[in-house]
Amino acid sequence: MALTGRTGLIALAGIVVVLFAPRPGAALAGVCLLLASGIVVDLAFAGAVRPLRLHRSGETLVRLGGQATVELVVENPGKRRVRGLLRDAWPPSAGAAPREAELDVLGGERRRIVVTLTPTRRGDRSSVAVTVRSVGPLGLAARQGSHRAPWTVRVLPPFLSRKHLPSRLARLRELDGQHPALVRGQGTEFDSLREYVVGDDVRSIDWRATARRHDVVVRTWRPERDRRVLIVLDTGRTSAGRVGDAPVPMAGTEANTGLLAPPASRPAPGWPRLDWSMDAALLLAALAARAGDQVDFLAYDRAVRAWVSGASRTELLSMLVNAMAPIEAELIEADAQGMVASILSRAKRRCLVVLLTDLNSAAMDEGLMPVLAQLSSRHLVLVAGVSDPRVAAMAGRRGSVEEVYDAAAAEQAQLGRRRITARLRRHGVEVVDAPPEEIAPALADAYLALKAAGRL
Amino acid sequence: MSIFARPADTGAPPQAGPATSPAPQGANGQGSYSTSPTARSAWRSSRLIVLLGVLVVLIAVIGVLLAPGRGESRPLDPDDTSLAGSKALAEILRGRGVTVERVGSAQAAAEKAAAGDKLLVITDLTYYDEEELARLPGDRLVVGPLPYMERVAPGVRIEPGDNRSRSREPECGLPAAAAAGSVHIGGLAMRGPAGTVGCFPVEDGHLLVRFQADGGVTTVVGDGSFMTNQRLAEDGNAALAINLLQTGKSVVWLARPADPPAVDLPGESGKSIYDLMPESIRWAIYMAIIAVAVAAFWRGRRLGPVVTEKLPVVVRAAETVEGRGRLYRARRARGRAAASLRAGTIDRLAPRLGLGSGAGQHEVVAAIAARTGQDAHQVGTALYGPPPTDDAGLVALAGYLDFIERQLSEL
Repeated sequence: MALTGRTGLIALAGIVVVLFAPRPGAALAGVCLLLASGIVVDLAFAGAVRPLRLHRSGETLVRLGGQATVELVVENPGKRRVRGLLRDAWPPSAGAAPREAELDVLGGERRRIVVTLTPTRRGDRSSVAVTVRSVGPLGLAARQGSHRAPWTVRVLPPFLSRKHLPSRLARLRELDGQHPALVRGQGTEFDSLREYVVGDDVRSIDWRATARRHDVVVRTWRPERDRRVLIVLDTGRTSAGRVGDAPVPMAGTEANTGLLAPPASRPAPGWPRLDWSMDAALLLAALAARAGDQVDFLAYDRAVRAWVSGASRTELLSMLVNAMAPIEAELIEADAQGMVASILSRAKRRCLVVLLTDLNSAAMDEGLMPVLAQLSSRHLVLVAGVSDPRVAAMAGRRGSVEEVYDAAAAEQAQLGRRRITARLRRHGVEVVDAPPEEIAPALADAYLALKAAGRL
Repeated sequence: MSIFARPADTGAPPQAGPATSPAPQGANGQGSYSTSPTARSAWRSSRLIVLLGVLVVLIAVIGVLLAPGRGESRPLDPDDTSLAGSKALAEILRGRGVTVERVGSAQAAAEKAAAGDKLLVITDLTYYDEEELARLPGDRLVVGPLPYMERVAPGVRIEPGDNRSRSREPECGLPAAAAAGSVHIGGLAMRGPAGTVGCFPVEDGHLLVRFQADGGVTTVVGDGSFMTNQRLAEDGNAALAINLLQTGKSVVWLARPADPPAVDLPGESGKSIYDLMPESIRWAIYMAIIAVAVAAFWRGRRLGPVVTEKLPVVVRAAETVEGRGRLYRARRARGRAAASLRAGTIDRLAPRLGLGSGAGQHEVVAAIAARTGQDAHQVGTALYGPPPTDDAGLVALAGYLDFIERQLSEL
């Protein structure tokens, strides 16, 4: 049950009536009786909410930053008209609009209500309840009831770095021998023989075949194919830190979320490292799948959060984004030993292990460094870390005393990062350390360089 | 070759829609069902709580109804059985054959004591006219502390200040007090007129005075706690009380009335503000209360449940670095700050100068001095000298390191 503003207004007018009536006691009783009977009549003649039937249809997948529409059909099987308000309740980060909608369904008819979702977080968002308030004929009181009409929309990572894909694919084709200008890399594997055309590198002429064929024949080369790439996403506490500027608004990216923070003193927090890493992982996966390599994906902190293996090239990306969607950074220290054991048990053959983590010297020293040798002895390891542009900016600002102290702290952090990078390289590990906006293309370039060098 | 459903080079979205990707968990497209409780299910789920509530209220009501009506305790009332009352004393006196009559009004007291052959005990003056009582003849015992006490005991001067109630020796020749011995007494100190016998002396008077007034013997006690049910059995309290009250005359005990008349403060015309207000105002106020309740229900009723969500923590990655910077600043850690700045500069410059990571101090200084044309000693002090002694020195050092780096990058 609910009352309307009209009831409140009548009660307000009742004050004046009682004030000027010759018999105020009787007037009060009269006004109250009038209100009560109006409410009872309204409740009795309002369209029933309970028998309503709700049907949903619409999108179940949306990329972060995009919009999904979900349709809700309200069917009124009763005889009375249901007129009033409807609220489709979603979690706040689903960004459902409109919050409440006008509803008017005649008996035996159905109405469609369109809800637009603008999610601000990855993951699954489910409708919680649909509440209908059915106002009676006098407009004084309403019946109210809730229904459960389940619908879940999965919010996928946006894969913003796909804009870098065409240029990287062009580079891949250069390696592939499809491009007119053949690039012969070291360690690429022999593909086929074909006739010499002007412009070919004379060093690639196969003299033995030329002697057999009475024609000048060159060898063509192509990069290695069918190698394995294992992308490992560290979802521990270091991946929760927010860096950079959010390219797509995300829950928590608006500045000054704290009550005590004075305005403008805190910059907007940006995206978590995890989301930047996912973006880079998706670009790498798309590129590697296109290059003919087998891509597997593992997300790990102290347990396996996601594992994608054996996906065919056409469905790899959709499987990856679906696996990544519900992953959140856990506020626990990642277990590097368990991660390495998990990788070793999953990757039997030699493969390229791309570890997306933070190059935090303290966490690396205690976590990955002691167990890195186990991994790098069997696999080619590439560690990619998202650096914080804010730290770099702090290191450069040296105007006042406060800024100099901050710059010293930032220098300390950067120094630790450079040292850990140097130590990793000494262990034969490839390192990609780039700011958030550049991590995805930098990782793709590192992959292409390894491919060209035939190191996979 | 294409890994996408659509041509990939245009940057098509990776997901191919619900048909090809695993559906999210949950049951999309299932039928709806009502979650609001029906009258029956609401009763079923809440009947235990309702029954318990009814039971609690019932027990409370029965308990209140069955409990003896105690009401407010009336101090030194001969009919009051509370700790502050004096029923015990009254009963003892009756047992000893003394007639004790409790009166609750000045008129009744005047009627009983008009002959002057009775002992008038005054333990309360709040609701009585002192002048009327003062005119009554006969013996009287005034038990303080009371407002305007001196008016019913003419000639007595009340000293300001209060004496703590404790066990005191009478130290006087009054037989009633001397026979009782030590008594728990305190309260107001008094000085009587000439011919007064005073007992329980304190600094500025006595706590008990007896003197011969016009109509009879007047006794005034500064404190009646020795007569209460609580204290009667202690010390010589009972003895003193009985000695004072058992004089061979019957006792008329003026105590606080059982139901004190309500006090109203009428205006000049004898009417209160409520009498002046038109009746309709009161009813309009009731109506306003109803209107506010209706409006509160109108605005307060929520359309559906409050939806909560567990959000991930928002923490900027740079916060640890900022915290370290603030720590340096708070501790004035110039040595550490300078070391960090220098190490950063050397780390960046060494490869640019063509030096390995293991290059020694002199090689670095010499290389920088040679490239920039700066004084080698100055460069050496900036890079390897003692830490700056004040903040200004630190800022200057940072500026100089910046300057060297800029010069080398311009080369």
